[in-house]
Amino acid sequence: MEKVMKKLTDSVVDKISMDFLRNQVLKNAYGNDDTVIARLDPRILLAWYVFFALAPWFVDNLVFLLGCFLLVAVTTIMARVAGLVLFLFLLGVFSQTGYLFVVSLLFGGNAETILPLLILTLKVATVSLASITVFSGLDPDRLSNGLMWYGCPERLSFSISYAYRMLPMLMEEFQNVLLSYRLRGNAPNTETLTGKIRYLVYQIKMIIHSFYPLMLNTAKRSRTTVEALEIKGYRYGAVNKEVKKMKLSALKVTYNDLLFLAVSFLWVSLTVMAMTIL
Amino acid sequence: MTMKTQRLTQSQKLMVFVLTMSLYGLATLFTELIPSFQVGIVEFSVEYFLFIPLVLAMLFDPMSAALGAATGELVFSEIMLGQFGGLGELEKFITVTIGVYIAGRLVRNPRNRKMAGVAAISGVAIQQILGMIVDIMKVQFAVEDFEAVPGLPQSVFATEGFACLNDVLFSGILFCMLPTLFLVPKLYGKIEPLLGMEPRTEKTALEPIGLKVIVCSLIAFAAAAASELLATSGFSLIDWEAGWAESGTAMAAGMAVAALIAIIAILVIKKNAESRTEKA
Repeated sequence: MEKVMKKLTDSVVDKISMDFLRNQVLKNAYGNDDTVIARLDPRILLAWYVFFALAPWFVDNLVFLLGCFLLVAVTTIMARVAGLVLFLFLLGVFSQTGYLFVVSLLFGGNAETILPLLILTLKVATVSLASITVFSGLDPDRLSNGLMWYGCPERLSFSISYAYRMLPMLMEEFQNVLLSYRLRGNAPNTETLTGKIRYLVYQIKMIIHSFYPLMLNTAKRSRTTVEALEIKGYRYGAVNKEVKKMKLSALKVTYNDLLFLAVSFLWVSLTVMAMTIL
Repeated sequence: MTMKTQRLTQSQKLMVFVLTMSLYGLATLFTELIPSFQVGIVEFSVEYFLFIPLVLAMLFDPMSAALGAATGELVFSEIMLGQFGGLGELEKFITVTIGVYIAGRLVRNPRNRKMAGVAAISGVAIQQILGMIVDIMKVQFAVEDFEAVPGLPQSVFATEGFACLNDVLFSGILFCMLPTLFLVPKLYGKIEPLLGMEPRTEKTALEPIGLKVIVCSLIAFAAAAASELLATSGFSLIDWEAGWAESGTAMAAGMAVAALIAIIAILVIKKNAESRTEKA
């Protein structure tokens, strides 16, 4: 039995290694640009998202919420979102409301408490699935272009593109620093309970310590980045209307986009119809 | 030298922004990916890496660092992982900005360790308490007849209050104050030249926090709370719902038919366009 448990924990630890995380994030960002969702126009998708991010909060009807939830669930499948993201989503939704329910039982709640909480869960789930569809389904360049078209500050679009580009490198660097600390350090013995606690403290300390070289390195790198941006006239280009127009000219609304909107609209109106009949 | 305050050029501010954004973004990404784990009743979660923007806000321009931290969290851990919550994220963005900014302004001389520690813990406390207030309001508005549901109000107050207290006392001290105390003196004078600027001293620091900062923070917080509530409340739409309730079915049927016609029309047009391009 103990062996099985050890094997299980080992395989879990293997799964959650740094490389696994990096792969999942990268896959989420760049791995699925051939899906139906990724080919849609970012502006249309963002408008679609605004509806599904706002509407569920205003309606308390279970039928309507279920309908919206089904629709965004289908689009999430269509966007082929990475497994880790979906796992985090499920964990987040259920741990939050489940925790609230358990605590409300302590304060004399009963089965009646479930229904409002269920509605709350459904609302949260719909909104987050819609955002997963849009923000994971689109690749970063298209997403930041779409946001820029709606007048988001240039700095946000820049941050998105920069983040996707730099993140893998930063992760690798962090890992290297951490490993070099680990090589030089002498980890405490983990056999006794105090040893285990000391090991945990040691780990946390090491992570904090490794931010010291990381901060210095990143400072150097961000200086290089900004200087390179300045050479290209970034700060002037960012506020220039001509540049913006040129940058956004690649966006084009196609029939597929309209079709996507119309189908969503049909589904929503059908659920509204069902809601009023029931 | 006539330099009164720690003057930064626009590009240096951008450097601080980029630096904080990438570091804090990376840290929040880890905490987002690694599910929070509990030891007894004490929970470990995201807030603990707040020491990164706190340190940088104490050493560099507080506003750029604060905005960078908030953007980093938004972009790296919310948008990249598809956990973007729409309008509600604005609340977190603003509370993080306020907390980090005020902590950065509090420290006039980074060599003064006592002040750095006090600033770090107050930065965390400000962010957490503002967040708690908004969270409680959110549940109050999202659940209909909040007061009537048995046991819900007390449980919300209890869980939120406890989480806040836990975050401030336990992780605020252990994961924010201590790392800040360790990193600020160590980085002071070393990291500034890398961005081509002078270290902050008592003389070059910005003015101490005045009424203006507090008023601006309060206004920003009001905006944050308003955006959060707007995202949650059902106020303005109650009348609207009642208005079309009677002829709702007919209207919905009309909408469905319109959508159907639109789909067919788009399909036909698309097919025509495709065949035309094939012929051409």
